[in-house]
Amino acid sequence: MEHRTTQINSTLYDQCIADYEVRSPLFAAEAPEVVAARAQAIEQFKQLGFPSTKVEDWKYTNLVPVLKENFELEQDAEVLTVAEALLAQAKIDLLDCYRIVLVNGKYRADLSEVPAVEGLFLSSLSDAADRPAFKQHFGKYIDLSKFHFAAANTALFRNGLFIDVKRNTVVEKPLHLIHVATAGAPTYFQPRQLFVVGTSASISVIESYVTDGAPVFVNNVAEIVVQENAQMQHFYIQAGDANARYVHHTEVYQQANSQYNNYKASFPGTSLWRNNMNIALDGENVESHLYGLYLAGGHQLVDNHTIVDHRKPHCNSNELYKGVMKDESAGVFNGKIFVRKDAQKTNAFQQNNNMLLGKKAVVDSKPQLEIFADDVKCSHGSTMGQFNPEALFYLKSRGIGDEKARALLVHAFAYDVTEKIPIPEVQSHINALIDQGLK
Amino acid sequence: MSTDLDILKDVSTEEYKYGFTTNIEMEMAPIGLNEDTVRYISAKKNEPEWLLEWRLKAYRQFEKMEWPSWQNFEMPSMDLQSISFYAAPRKKAKLNSLEEVDPELLATFEKLGIPLTEQKMLAGVAVDAVFDSVSVATTFKGKLKEMGVIFCSFGEAVQEYPDLVKKFLGTVVPHTDNIFAALNAAVFSDGSFVYIPKGVRCPMELSTYFRINAENTGQFERTLIVADDDSYVSYLEGCTAPMRDENQLHAAVVELIALENAEIKYSTVQNWYPGDKDGKGGIYNFVTKRGICKGVNSKISWTQVETGSAITWKYPSVILRGDNSTGEFYSVALTKNKQVADTGTKMYHIGKNTRSRIISKGISAGEGQNSYRGLVQVGSGADNARNFTQCDSLLIGDQCGAHTFPYIESKNNSAMVEHEATTSKIGEDQIFYLNQRGIDTEKAVALIVNGYAKEVLNQLPMEFAVEAQKLLAISLEGSVG
Repeated sequence: MEHRTTQINSTLYDQCIADYEVRSPLFAAEAPEVVAARAQAIEQFKQLGFPSTKVEDWKYTNLVPVLKENFELEQDAEVLTVAEALLAQAKIDLLDCYRIVLVNGKYRADLSEVPAVEGLFLSSLSDAADRPAFKQHFGKYIDLSKFHFAAANTALFRNGLFIDVKRNTVVEKPLHLIHVATAGAPTYFQPRQLFVVGTSASISVIESYVTDGAPVFVNNVAEIVVQENAQMQHFYIQAGDANARYVHHTEVYQQANSQYNNYKASFPGTSLWRNNMNIALDGENVESHLYGLYLAGGHQLVDNHTIVDHRKPHCNSNELYKGVMKDESAGVFNGKIFVRKDAQKTNAFQQNNNMLLGKKAVVDSKPQLEIFADDVKCSHGSTMGQFNPEALFYLKSRGIGDEKARALLVHAFAYDVTEKIPIPEVQSHINALIDQGLK
Repeated sequence: MSTDLDILKDVSTEEYKYGFTTNIEMEMAPIGLNEDTVRYISAKKNEPEWLLEWRLKAYRQFEKMEWPSWQNFEMPSMDLQSISFYAAPRKKAKLNSLEEVDPELLATFEKLGIPLTEQKMLAGVAVDAVFDSVSVATTFKGKLKEMGVIFCSFGEAVQEYPDLVKKFLGTVVPHTDNIFAALNAAVFSDGSFVYIPKGVRCPMELSTYFRINAENTGQFERTLIVADDDSYVSYLEGCTAPMRDENQLHAAVVELIALENAEIKYSTVQNWYPGDKDGKGGIYNFVTKRGICKGVNSKISWTQVETGSAITWKYPSVILRGDNSTGEFYSVALTKNKQVADTGTKMYHIGKNTRSRIISKGISAGEGQNSYRGLVQVGSGADNARNFTQCDSLLIGDQCGAHTFPYIESKNNSAMVEHEATTSKIGEDQIFYLNQRGIDTEKAVALIVNGYAKEVLNQLPMEFAVEAQKLLAISLEGSVG
């Protein structure tokens, strides 16, 4: 089969196409919305394939070595036993929360603490088929013609989680989702989540990642709908071992007067973290904040792509991503702000700062603005640098050792992001991970 | 300020001022593009064999390449087989003085305001006027010659200084660089050649006026500037073109080479025909401009004011090869009606302690689309490289667009790279402040825009700064309110 140069030839691609053929008779049992979405997505994926570096959005992230590893497509998973020690890796000390465990994307009620909150519904995606919120929002927001992996996921996902927060429901305690990726042989997983935060509802979700066993390649898609007046605080704590590769797509759709804050921190370990974070501000007076901290080490590649799409007037968005690259790691930041024609009175800010610690570390930054309205205030900034020798000298002259002084300066650099984290336990958890990552 | 406004008023009431065609008999190449066209041009220009070979190689490369699709505008369809690639005013012998120049040509220049006949009065400006493809008059040559400065048409340089041309031609912009560079290399008609010898500081601003005149003729200029060790040169390029409905392709190539301790300052004011208010007609300005700071401590500075052309698409770049070398890029791009500007720069930091500075000011009015696209690349050997980039966009009206696509890549942890960009409209408070000082809104906008662009305009040599200010004010007329 002939592929264009924008695609990478791989057995995984062939497996995906074959898998769809094999499973399509079974899809009939699913909700009609899902069946339709799958059918459309597989056509998109056939056209797109896995992207090569010729695709602009994958310019700096080469998947050839990943796809060479001959990952097998996930099969219907049996229920695996998961060691409590593995889950403990993600534990956030002192945090009072509901623990929700997902193993290779599959919701595991047996390992989870099911929140007994009125108005909060939580289930696996397959059990959500007849929920109105599911039918209304599933697969509605991602432009599959632009996102190769989201297309593959939509066509072929097996497991997932659905959270529905009903109108006016305030979930006091945060949900802590622990995503476990574990396999006996190299496996490609495609888990999926859909969160719907209803009108005037409010929720905090913390997502952590742990990996175990053979190499895994995880293509995760999360769809999030924040309805009118609703609020969502969303945390990603991305860690794992060098056997793991993640391509992680988050699609957020916000309605009028809503607020969505995302705090993302990634740490050394996993070989690849590719995040796609898209936010559509599709209502007036929407507020969105995106904070990112990426600390990369070893040969890790951390690639953060964000799109903030201002569709309606009077919205505010604010984005701050800070990166620290150690050793021979590579960091990529690609931030895009769209301001549509009618989105007057928009305020949109974006900033990306990078610190290169490793002599062979690499960073690529592409902050972009596309603006079609005139009454707006938009700006972006990007910097790359390293330790300020004067600051180091100052600390050392005060009797602080070199290593300690450097750690202090990294914390100071990260502080702009970490101070924004509204839950103190999560904040100190992330600070501890920074310390650990700097070692 | 008042003079600016007078000009603004004068010009706003007229259509594109420089829209006239000169009726001079033209010598045209047969319409279409093939190897014979290349041979025809080369033969017309009496070129040596190696240059013909070089052109043919470029032509074969061109045939293999595809039109790009990554740009942020819709590529107009261009039929290269329907235009002629060579047009020269028919003339007999080489001209030694202005008296020998076709009077109608001189009249054209006078209408354009080119100080060709008034050169004595306008001391300090040597003009090498390129009328379409062939230089008709070169002035101040004697004075420059005394100092050993070579400033002549490209064709002349090929005849008289073939070794220099051969040594440097295509070394900064190879014919394989992009499809327009390949096309240019194959069919370039003429252009300018400058060589500043060692230790010479060029005593005057060198300037050339390009002017597209013959209908249905693509313009493929080639400029090569070499500044030898310890030399300095400032080069000015200005353009006006007559009005017409058919789109015209202009694919020029400019190569700058700065050797040890040399400095080249290259300034452009471009106000070619932008098309009418419905976007009909206008020039496609697809130019490849690149300089290399080859020697240590060398410096290349690009300054551009782009107000014309239907589509302006260029990225004047600097390769910072020599240690301690400096690259600069100052740009004002104004788009109105249906104009498109996709411009910016590329700074390649290769040598140690290299510095670059990018200041880009975009102004979009009407339905104009303005994109800044830039690359700052720090190689692994570029220790202590330093870059500062600022790109601001000003939006006037709610139909226009401003876009920023910077690429920042660093492979060296001792490099410091900064990029910032803002987009805004003219503040109501700013207008109000000026209003209450008795300045009406129209004047206030002109004042604010001029202030906004000042950082770039200040980089221009005096003569150009005035013209550029006029252009900005003129172009904005009617966009306000």
